[in-house]
Amino acid sequence: MPIFTINWAIVSLALSSGMVLLLRDWRITIPAMLINYLSVAWFLAQQQFITPDLTIGELTLSTTIVVKVITGFAASAILGITAVTFSREYNLEDLDEFSLAELRRAARRAQRQRAGEPFRLADYVVPFWALVLAALASIALPRLYPIGSQTIDFAWYWLGLTGLFTIVLASDTLKTGLGLLLVVSSIDLVYTAIASTVQVFPLALLSLTTIVLSLSVAYLSGLMYGRLKTLDLSVLYKP
Amino acid sequence: MSYVLLITFPLALGASCFLLRHETRLVIGVAVAALIAHCALVILTPVDQPVRLLGLTLNLDPLGRLFLAGFPAVTALMILATWRLPHGEHFVSIALVIIGVASAMIVLLQEPLMVALLLVSAGLISVLAIVDLPSRASQLVEPRVIASALKYLVLMALAGALAYLGFVLINVYRPGITPDLIAPRLVLALIVAAFGLRMALVPFHSWLPDLVEDASPLVSAIIVVVLNTTGLLFLISVLQFFPTLVAENERGLALLTWLGAIAALVGALLALVQDRLRRIAGYLVVYNAGMILFGLATITPAGLMGAVFEAFNQMLAVPLLMVSLVLLEQPDGRPPKAMRRDLLWRWPVAGSGLLCSCAALIGLPPLSGFASKMLLYQVAAHYGAPMIALLIGATLLALLALARIARDWLIGAPEDQPVAEAQVLLGATELDMPSQRRLTSEPFIAAIVVLVLLGISLAIGLYPQPLIETIAEVIRGLTFVRPDVVR
Repeated sequence: MPIFTINWAIVSLALSSGMVLLLRDWRITIPAMLINYLSVAWFLAQQQFITPDLTIGELTLSTTIVVKVITGFAASAILGITAVTFSREYNLEDLDEFSLAELRRAARRAQRQRAGEPFRLADYVVPFWALVLAALASIALPRLYPIGSQTIDFAWYWLGLTGLFTIVLASDTLKTGLGLLLVVSSIDLVYTAIASTVQVFPLALLSLTTIVLSLSVAYLSGLMYGRLKTLDLSVLYKP
Repeated sequence: MSYVLLITFPLALGASCFLLRHETRLVIGVAVAALIAHCALVILTPVDQPVRLLGLTLNLDPLGRLFLAGFPAVTALMILATWRLPHGEHFVSIALVIIGVASAMIVLLQEPLMVALLLVSAGLISVLAIVDLPSRASQLVEPRVIASALKYLVLMALAGALAYLGFVLINVYRPGITPDLIAPRLVLALIVAAFGLRMALVPFHSWLPDLVEDASPLVSAIIVVVLNTTGLLFLISVLQFFPTLVAENERGLALLTWLGAIAALVGALLALVQDRLRRIAGYLVVYNAGMILFGLATITPAGLMGAVFEAFNQMLAVPLLMVSLVLLEQPDGRPPKAMRRDLLWRWPVAGSGLLCSCAALIGLPPLSGFASKMLLYQVAAHYGAPMIALLIGATLLALLALARIARDWLIGAPEDQPVAEAQVLLGATELDMPSQRRLTSEPFIAAIVVLVLLGISLAIGLYPQPLIETIAEVIRGLTFVRPDVVR
């Protein structure tokens, strides 16, 4: 394929959501999520599904695209700030001695767990094959169940599948949230791209839902970190 | 204007209650007054007068009005019950916000994309109530509560995404033009999976027993009563506005009736094998959701009437169940780890509330669930012996689960047997004597709430005619309903 026919928006979208699925470090996955939002906006602007009504310099855009960019920044910023501060500290003076001891115990347990967890390539095997499976399904499904054009179908199937696999394989709360945001981004894309008449309110509410979703994930992550000093989901199910 | 007020009034009061959240009594008083006013507002709002606002169609149909009047009424009772009971710091404000969002959903039922997203947003807001702790609590939130909240968040977000995708696809579908591209079967499957998750139908039910077990019972009650019931109304309106889903899915709907009956059976079976009271209660709600799906999927007047009536019954029975559970779990002066098998004798009002609420969910006479279950059995009879056997089998299993609750927790021998006075030994002082146990009595206001809910359930059970007529009138107006069952 000659290089000038490559749709770079799709490449960027695919790579960023693939990184969210494959990698574990929030310092990479949250910026990847932001890039993903920007790629979706770039793709929608490129395809001109909605008539542009805004001119910024030489760029003509639809307001909807701008809203999507702002939503992406907001959702990523909420999760990013949560990841940086990472703790909803309890009001220690309100807690009884048992609760204080439990907090100290949780901190020690989390510290031990972190120390005993070196980088292992084996942790990336299942996500890698999930990524391969998502790629195969995203190529096959647009042929089996075509809804829009091939490019649109690939984009939304890819986003939805990587999101679902991220949720299934997530080992921490923040990554589960990123998976959910990918799924929501997928249906946002399919609605904007194929609905016969794109209405303002459902799009606005979808953006609001994205922000509320990231706030809920951020709140739960903060709460969990404050309580257990880790975001590892396996700790939640230990007796 | 009144439609907008229905939405904004509880939202504004919810925000005010959030600001005043440390003044517990004041907030409860304000919230109860606001919910009574909201209930009156709903009753005074004209029905079936659609208006357009900002490109959206707002309308309140008689069925929506019935439930929209019921939600604030039962929520007010539940909030009143928290007067002397521990509850989350933000419970009242979140309950008001959820009522506001539920009002928006019912008023906007003609805008399915909006309602799907509002349902997700309401679910996300209720996550905050699940992990909520009482004001200035000295305990930490339990890890399993966080796990339940996370599970609920993920499943509700996925349910919303599936429903939204279904509506997008049905918007694109043009019968006869794009028949092969997007099959209505796929759309029905997406919508059923979405509503299955929302209404905790087997096999999408796992969040509900966990939620009932780990979260505050009153939070579970709000979620089941307001959000799940609104989900059902939404599903009915979806079938009304997209008749293609019914017309081109004869086999799919026939399959759904069986799935509903099987879901009820599995729910009841799982209720029977649980060893914790809260989980049994959760699975009884799952059983009931299966019965509702069965009635709805028949698409007949009697089936739909049974499903809607059952949802109304659930709106009364679940708060009664949950308030009774809160009361029964109160420390009563006995050691916390002691097996308590005599709860009915110890706390008669709460014990009766628990028994009667489960009986109402199962459909025992003379409570409110009886008439709806009879309607469902009547429809099942048209499907033949296997279907009626499935439903009656499910109900019998649920009945056994109730019998187990009674045996294991309620009607055991009273622990307080007369004890022979110990002989006072020479040189013994007061400090050597065992301390006098002080068993507390049932909190008065919560007990009154239990009695009121019990009375309403009994009144509807004894005289269901007005409610049946109201529901029947609404069902007659639905265009997708079939006169007879299709096997």
